[in-house]
Amino acid sequence: MTINAPFVEKVLTAFLRQELSRFGFRNGILGLSGGLDSAVAAALAVRAVGPSHVIALIMPYGSGFPKDLRDARALAAKLGVRTELIDIAPQVDAYFARFPTRSPRRRGNKMARERMSVLYDFSERTEALIIGTSNKTELLIGYGTIHGDMACAFNPLGDLYKTQVRALGRHLGLPAAILRKTPTPGLWPGQTDEAEIGLNYAELDRILYHLVDLRESRREVVARGFARRKVERVADMMRRSEFKRRMPPIAKLSFRTVGHDFLYPYDRGC
Amino acid sequence: MKIALAQVAPALGDVDRNLALHLRTIAKARRLGADLVVFPELSLTGYALKDLVEETALDPRTSPVFRALKADSRSVDLVVGFVEESPRARGLIYNAAAYLSRGAIRHVHRKVALPTYGMFEEGKFFARGGEAETFAARRLRTGLLICRDFLQTGIGYLLQAGGAELIVAVSAAPGRGSTPEQAFASSRMWERMGESLSFFASAFVVYCNRVGFEDGVPFAGGSFLFAPDGRLLGRSPYLDEDLLVREIRPDDVRRARRRMHFHKEDRPEVVLEGLRRIIQSHDD
Repeated sequence: MTINAPFVEKVLTAFLRQELSRFGFRNGILGLSGGLDSAVAAALAVRAVGPSHVIALIMPYGSGFPKDLRDARALAAKLGVRTELIDIAPQVDAYFARFPTRSPRRRGNKMARERMSVLYDFSERTEALIIGTSNKTELLIGYGTIHGDMACAFNPLGDLYKTQVRALGRHLGLPAAILRKTPTPGLWPGQTDEAEIGLNYAELDRILYHLVDLRESRREVVARGFARRKVERVADMMRRSEFKRRMPPIAKLSFRTVGHDFLYPYDRGC
Repeated sequence: MKIALAQVAPALGDVDRNLALHLRTIAKARRLGADLVVFPELSLTGYALKDLVEETALDPRTSPVFRALKADSRSVDLVVGFVEESPRARGLIYNAAAYLSRGAIRHVHRKVALPTYGMFEEGKFFARGGEAETFAARRLRTGLLICRDFLQTGIGYLLQAGGAELIVAVSAAPGRGSTPEQAFASSRMWERMGESLSFFASAFVVYCNRVGFEDGVPFAGGSFLFAPDGRLLGRSPYLDEDLLVREIRPDDVRRARRRMHFHKEDRPEVVLEGLRRIIQSHDD
């Protein structure tokens, strides 16, 4: 699972350079949360196309996470990128004033989708393509909000497990405050990825690596010494989240149907 | 004899832009004294075409794109990759490579092995070629292979048994898997197989891979040339565009075959008999 960080950097910056020059676009935009993934994506984008072509939106909900806000601003300053600070509390609160809930999940998903909706509007305003920040771990277990933080124009981090993203972040010289931070979706104070998923990333990533990359069966992975309960849980999370990784199925009627046999590449003309 | 490997990044589905890229690269290679310029697999169209195969298909005998390339081939031999639909096989579309020389198409190879699994979908969109033949070109008997053809020993063997002195493999090979070196794991596989084939066939083996990304997939580059005795004559960088020009001495084939008699001792009739028995005894 060890990555060759300088080589990965070379591949991903070349990818970003090509993607960011598509369809007449020149700039990339992304949400900077103060966490690891968006920091790595921002640092890669700056190395790929330079700070003047990267726009970072910092979109806190109110003032509940002062440290993340501080870290995001410090990183943006260090990278030299243009930033906009947009508090999403007014628009989220306006909605829940009409449709109140106590469900932290509903509130969290709404926040993720508000950020998405701001990003897409700013994408048009600034003529910038949205750089995705979901890593391979999240994509595989579906730990993300569909049409929320998973929405993007392209994704440089989607084939790197969380622990690999951290190794890349170290290679890119990100601040220790970001590298050592406990991963959290930042939806409510005290929430952490690992507590919610029920596994730590070191173990989760290794289980995924054996199941997915090495194509081992659950039984084989258990035989390697991982707890059966954990392996089953990871495999179930993968199975239940397929809808987050796919375009929705279209009912087929004709000989040529979008998604079934009307098949064109994304990068046409690039 | 100077061979140039054009490690380029064609635009996906844009034949006109790719023709311009070819003509520019040919002019540059000619200035460097090249006698043969090799372009990667599907160099005129890009690789991940899906339904664009229909819109990019050409008949090399009548296409204006080929008219321009034929004109250039009066002064330098060319290998180009393209999507072929010929009137003789109407409705069938092939992943093809053409060898052009002295203003004419000398040979067209249609890809035999079409990878169709995981990330590869060639068998969904292309018809299968059924031959791998050698032909006389310049001073060397030459054979063409397209990407996966090269990784199938049987197809490489057909060129070997056909007396190939120069094996030209064109490719759009994605980079996959990590290594401790600054390269993809898949690049190492290509280099090992190229080196092996140069020994097996006592022939020059040149491999031209592309670079750039299509739908997130990186093409690894790392084009190379091996002499008939397994000597690496040159290798392009991974991931970056390049034009690698190397002088080869056609006489090295004779020297290699006198030192190691692999070619003389090859027994294609034994292989043929053995294959016939194996095929006849297949249950399915």
